Amino acid sequence: MTSYAFRRRLSRNFTRFCLAVFVCICLGPVLWAIVTSFLPLSAMTSTPPDLNPLNATLENYVEVFDTSRGLLSGLINSLIIALFTSAIALTLGAMAAYALARLNMPGSTPLLLVILATQMFPAIVIVIPLFLVMSRIDLIDKHIGLIVVYLSFVLPIVIWILKGFFEGIPLELERAAAVDGASPLQVFRHVILPISLPPLFATGVFAFIESWNEFFFAIILTRIHVKTAPIAIAEFSGQYQTLYGQMLASAVLASLPVVVLAIIFRKFILEGFVEGAVKA
Amino acid sequence: MAEVTLTNVTKRFGSVLACDDINLHVDDGQFISMLGPSGCGKSTLLNVIAGLEEATSGEIKIGDRVVNNLGPFERDVAMVFQNYALYPHMTVAENIGFSLRLRKRPAQEIQKRVMDVARMLELNQLLDRLPRELSGGQQQRVAIGRAVIREPSIFLFDEPFSNLDAGLRIRMRSEVKELHQRLGVTSIFVTHDQEEALSISDCIAVMRAGRIEQTDTPENVYSRPASKYVARFIGSPQMDIFSGEFERQDGRLLYRIGEALFEVPPLINQPEAPVDIGVRPEHVLIGEKGAPAEVHIVQPIGPFTYVTAKWEGGEATSRVTGIAHLKPKEQVYIQFDPVGLHVFDRTTEKRVNLFSLTA
Repeated sequence: MTSYAFRRRLSRNFTRFCLAVFVCICLGPVLWAIVTSFLPLSAMTSTPPDLNPLNATLENYVEVFDTSRGLLSGLINSLIIALFTSAIALTLGAMAAYALARLNMPGSTPLLLVILATQMFPAIVIVIPLFLVMSRIDLIDKHIGLIVVYLSFVLPIVIWILKGFFEGIPLELERAAAVDGASPLQVFRHVILPISLPPLFATGVFAFIESWNEFFFAIILTRIHVKTAPIAIAEFSGQYQTLYGQMLASAVLASLPVVVLAIIFRKFILEGFVEGAVKA
Repeated sequence: MAEVTLTNVTKRFGSVLACDDINLHVDDGQFISMLGPSGCGKSTLLNVIAGLEEATSGEIKIGDRVVNNLGPFERDVAMVFQNYALYPHMTVAENIGFSLRLRKRPAQEIQKRVMDVARMLELNQLLDRLPRELSGGQQQRVAIGRAVIREPSIFLFDEPFSNLDAGLRIRMRSEVKELHQRLGVTSIFVTHDQEEALSISDCIAVMRAGRIEQTDTPENVYSRPASKYVARFIGSPQMDIFSGEFERQDGRLLYRIGEALFEVPPLINQPEAPVDIGVRPEHVLIGEKGAPAEVHIVQPIGPFTYVTAKWEGGEATSRVTGIAHLKPKEQVYIQFDPVGLHVFDRTTEKRVNLFSLTA
């Protein structure tokens, strides 16, 4: 006899099993990258790979910080670009989203669809014209060039996420503040902004990660001075040999900020996205 | 404190007419309820008075000032919302004191006035809590406190008790009534609950589809409804309204409803058009005399029992004091108490005075 309780336990365990498999598939490569980053090149290229932990070494990590490798400057460039992109995206995006959510402007729905439509072109379609425009206005290999490009795809998503959240804030809250004597700016500053911090953090982290990880536009729109971390990492794969150990060590290093951000703000991120989803 | 006068106020949302040519006068210190079903424009009217919505046309006066072009704060109104609208990130004390903080009052004064208000509303133990840590009734008291501390010239209440459970709703009614008696501030109270409006107000404006159908005291709205609509909206169970015909028999005047004939008092005016007659349950008498009918439904509610009796072509609900020992299908006789007859013109649906006893 299979009782209801048994069947329920069975189905719950099955769900858990599937989730576990999914997690392994996702984390497997990451784990492999971490392990490999501690191995000398010889251990990796031998067949089968020599995974003896006694061979573990930090040499990959030491070598990637050699300035000629460009990783350090890559990380700094990425940091500058990601910080500016997310700061600008949050500031502009919050204002635009608030306006779209609250002001009954004629044409706000088409406008929202246009904002979404900008996201429908594959990067490969726009990258050549973009390159031509950027070189004409002399923004190739400049921080601001990449920031502008990243904003063009981060900003629309930020607007959509925050719009959903702002719509979930009861209108009465703003009305109560207006009756209490708050100017529109004070309503935003004292009421809307404080209760919007979790979703703002969440979207900010999202914008940061998007621009931190971006590779395609970065490799085409930069040359020497503004190589970002992903480009610097890719360059470990050279014409004659690929320095897997160093490449993966840099990848691990480059992932650290993102992981740290996610851990610090995970409460906010969950809260923010759940609220945006449920209340809207 | 101030009086409020609305003259020909109209509010449109695109093609939707939410408030249609409203004229209303609220005396200084009066407690008036705007009563109507959802979607009748009562909340919109409140928002227009508050300055949260702009009137499409018409004039709004608070005291001697025309306030059409003033913001909510400049109108010196305070408002309590249905969903409380407490600032979720502020404590009870900060919520109540927010308006004073915006006006840059000294911290000491804010603290003192918040304490005064909190004591009055029995919130002094809760000042450091966040709204989400309070019960619904406590949240609503904070919302009221936030309005009271402003010492405004008008209180506006937008269905403040709708989200509370039944028992609490009745307690909050008396609390708000007591508050009004103590402060004497002109109050406009929006509700769809006729019992709430009857119990709390000095005056009731019954609204229907953007218009005011009747503005009068609770007694008059109940006992002299201006139209069929008001008659049906006020009172629970609803007034029974019949479309019958007058008949004369042996010099007596009767009103025929289906197969049953009911005795009515003599006429003071000849009706110009066919009329309908309405009777509330307390004026439908079950006894030994009258028109024969059959008991259909018996609903005891404690102090009263509502008995619905049917006859060929009609049915009426009677309020019987105490427990009625009646069973469905039982034969009874019903009469209408002459003092409780309401007569309405069948086409215009307006009240007409026809009988000598009800004039």
